[in-house]
Amino acid sequence: MRLKVSPRLISALVVALIVLFLITKNWGGASVNAKTISSFLVVGIALGGIYAITAGGLVVTYATTGIFNFAHAAIGCFLAFCYWQLTVKQGLPTLVAIAITLLVIAPAIGFLLDKVIMRRLRDAALVVQLMVTVGLMLTFMGITLTIWSPKTGRTLPQFFESSKGVQLGDVTATWHRIITVVIALLVALGLRFLLYRTRLGISMRAVVDSRSLAGLTGAKPSIISGASWALGCMTAGLAGILIAPETGLVVDNLTLIIVVASAAAAIAQLKSIPMAFIGGLIIGLAKSFSSVYLEWGTDWAYADEAIPAAILFIALLFLPMARLETGKIRITKRTERLTKPWEAALGAGVMIALVGAWANGWIPWISGTTFGERSAVWLGRGAGFMVIGLIMISLIPLIGWAGQVSFANFAIAGIGAVLFSHFGGQNGDAIGIVFVMLVCAPLGLMIALPALRLKGLYLALATMAFAEVADKVIIRHPNMLDPSATGVLFKPVNIFGITISSDPSDRRAFLMFLVVTFALLFFMLEMLRRTRWARRWIAMSDSPAASATIGVNLTTTKMMVFMLSGAMAGFAGCMFGLQRGALSVDSFPLFAGLPLVLLLAVQGVRYPVAAFMGVIGLASFPALYEVLGKPSWLSAIELIGPGIAAIAMAYRPEGAVFYSGRDLAGLLPWRKDARLEKELMVAKEREQNIGKDEINDMGLTRPFTPDKVAQLDRVLDITDLVDEKKMVPTGGAS
Amino acid sequence: MSAILETRDVVVRFGVLNAVSHASIEVVEGRVTGLIGPNGAGKTTCFNVITGLQEPTSGKVFFEGKDITNKNPYKRARMGIARTFQKLEVFGSLSARENILVAAEQRKTWDRSGFDPNKVCDEMLAKVGLTDVSEFMVGTLPTGTARLVELARALASNPRVLLLDEPSSGLNEEETEEMASLLRKFVDDGLAVLLVEHDMSFVMGTCEYIHVLDFGTIIATGTPAEVQANAQVQAAYLGTETVEEAS
Repeated sequence: MRLKVSPRLISALVVALIVLFLITKNWGGASVNAKTISSFLVVGIALGGIYAITAGGLVVTYATTGIFNFAHAAIGCFLAFCYWQLTVKQGLPTLVAIAITLLVIAPAIGFLLDKVIMRRLRDAALVVQLMVTVGLMLTFMGITLTIWSPKTGRTLPQFFESSKGVQLGDVTATWHRIITVVIALLVALGLRFLLYRTRLGISMRAVVDSRSLAGLTGAKPSIISGASWALGCMTAGLAGILIAPETGLVVDNLTLIIVVASAAAAIAQLKSIPMAFIGGLIIGLAKSFSSVYLEWGTDWAYADEAIPAAILFIALLFLPMARLETGKIRITKRTERLTKPWEAALGAGVMIALVGAWANGWIPWISGTTFGERSAVWLGRGAGFMVIGLIMISLIPLIGWAGQVSFANFAIAGIGAVLFSHFGGQNGDAIGIVFVMLVCAPLGLMIALPALRLKGLYLALATMAFAEVADKVIIRHPNMLDPSATGVLFKPVNIFGITISSDPSDRRAFLMFLVVTFALLFFMLEMLRRTRWARRWIAMSDSPAASATIGVNLTTTKMMVFMLSGAMAGFAGCMFGLQRGALSVDSFPLFAGLPLVLLLAVQGVRYPVAAFMGVIGLASFPALYEVLGKPSWLSAIELIGPGIAAIAMAYRPEGAVFYSGRDLAGLLPWRKDARLEKELMVAKEREQNIGKDEINDMGLTRPFTPDKVAQLDRVLDITDLVDEKKMVPTGGAS
Repeated sequence: MSAILETRDVVVRFGVLNAVSHASIEVVEGRVTGLIGPNGAGKTTCFNVITGLQEPTSGKVFFEGKDITNKNPYKRARMGIARTFQKLEVFGSLSARENILVAAEQRKTWDRSGFDPNKVCDEMLAKVGLTDVSEFMVGTLPTGTARLVELARALASNPRVLLLDEPSSGLNEEETEEMASLLRKFVDDGLAVLLVEHDMSFVMGTCEYIHVLDFGTIIATGTPAEVQANAQVQAAYLGTETVEEAS
């Protein structure tokens, strides 16, 4: 017999060796004695407790609604500010403020989210589900920042701040921390009990698997999902209130806890509350260990912040491989037609003509400027928007066609820009761009590697974690981007006789170069869509199981599209650098990359033209500001823009480009096919909706017998709960 | 006749539930083999084991005498196993033509006979009678038509064995008859077909050999006549009414 070594064991050993190496290399020299150990444990457990509450809430929401809520921590942050307003500002007693925050505001947000948005997302594509919650996250951040200006410092007092706390060995555990740990334990136990031992909780879990089955419990599915969201918001708020006194009331920090919570949720495989709790503890302890014992040095000054992301990656390595599921196919409500080459060429031409006419002042422009001249500022802005467009278009094959939701492309572009500054950029050498693309292709692949065999959500988590690591650790490393280096990093580059640089005199040429490149990429993507590569990616996205059974190697197919997208992002990064002229270490935060994906998704992530529409959308706000002065309603719209986008996506999941394109095509006299397909589609939609209503009403309209309930209980494995005498024929979520 | 595809003592356990226990199924070239049984008997799970979507708890799957139990789904497809699904697994955002084209192009990776995928695609479209709707997105097509797209897609990879999971569901009577005659044509061309089906008259009319599953166990095998006469089968599943209907 062959000796079988489990690959997991090997990975575990490798990971352990790396961790050991990092620990010994960065050992800070603090002696390991009772004092340091107890301070490491006290801080770690308290921190872990807070993470555990956040992660627990995240897992509960996911387990009961099927939606991974990226806005979880942002909602928690908003609630923490609400709590601050009530206690510190209004002077309400702590308990009253907590009650108002957690028992009134939080559930209200939850029910509202469910009613307006979340309920529509149950059958939506993963990218739509994720982008809607990302939109919410940005909205909650925006609202919080507006109501409570970050210019004013705020502090939230700890609980029982005046009391001394408890002496544990040589360290004092403050009451706040003790309370945190106790609450975390109670929350974990409570959630576990709720989900597995009460009828409401069981109904909540059942809704995810089968709405009709859940209907049989007699509970109204809409109330159940509302309750799930309310519960999620309450845990988010609780965690926010507990952590804000430790970290300070800072929107970014409190919102970034989502990365930590995601890592803990990955450890919990998105379903186990006890494991989410343990995951939170592990991360808390790891961070505390690092701060007590390790000294990362100036080169890796921010390595500390990468710990949760690193733990997420490690957790992904050990997750069991996802099964290829069948019967979960999403019914497409889409009609589209392959773009013909001449149509794509026409589209590309229109893009070039539009931007060209604008850049050369052939179309009327707003007050103050005349025909003929565009200010250098506006030409620079235009180039900036086109660069963003290049990043967005790199996402089309990856997210739109292959269905691989990635948040990392902005970070890849950032790394590309930094690399270009080292290789070619400083000498104005165009060949460096090719080099950067060749590096960024495998980079895109490497990010995806740990998640390739897992389901799509993990990929999204991994890419988000990578974006955070790239910003905090990779780009900030002095060998990558020296924070002390100022001035020009990118010399003008000459490509095909066009000088492109950030210099004001070159800006028009640069903008034209960018729009031509963009239009070319657009055309190439439209052509690519007609090849077997794109067909295979779309097939894989529509049904992985069916793809595998016709011989598609899913792993290599995914790798292909990640490399393409990575290379495109790398190119965009080079352009980013050239357009800026210089880079700062703060150029590529996670929160700057997310809106791009959202903007593209709202326009329609499957259609290359959506990236161009995204550019126009980006440009429209500064343009409107200039036309209208600075009306406050416009900034309000800009602020809640992501929220509007999120709602729009929930109702129009295919994106604006699709719906307007379909209706426009229907108006063209020679597009009979568009009208016919629309008819077919509407008929099909109606047919499907009839069935849907029936299922929705099942629990309401169909009376059922006690033995039906008993059967259901058996299916759900809750026989120990069943009390024959108490059984009410109509069930109920009580 | 030796079996081209065979499962030996396949067991699939979900928690405490044995979805399939010690199921041995043989599929022979040039005939339609039926796999029937009441709801939840484990038929689709058997299909998933054969195509590699479900790892069996124990037992083995053989294809042309080779053990393929640990092979990836895509490798099995490349060896010549194709299937359709009980619940549609079409590529909804590709046109009917593209659905089939993906499979035909994929076949290029292992079939070096120098065929033209576009031609294969046209042939398949004609074979199942979809030429008229070939440019429509499959997501907008009615279920019956989409089922034919799935069938054509499976055929486009030029399989040796075709597994059909309830091909007649969603089809009307006329379409079902067409499907039956299509199947006969495939089998005459030397294809081996394994069929899961609820429509008893369809099964009894099309299959030459039948395996009956009940609670994951094979309770009877034989010709349609033998299976119908089997008392255990009648008790477990068929019932007198269905038998009458079929005979």
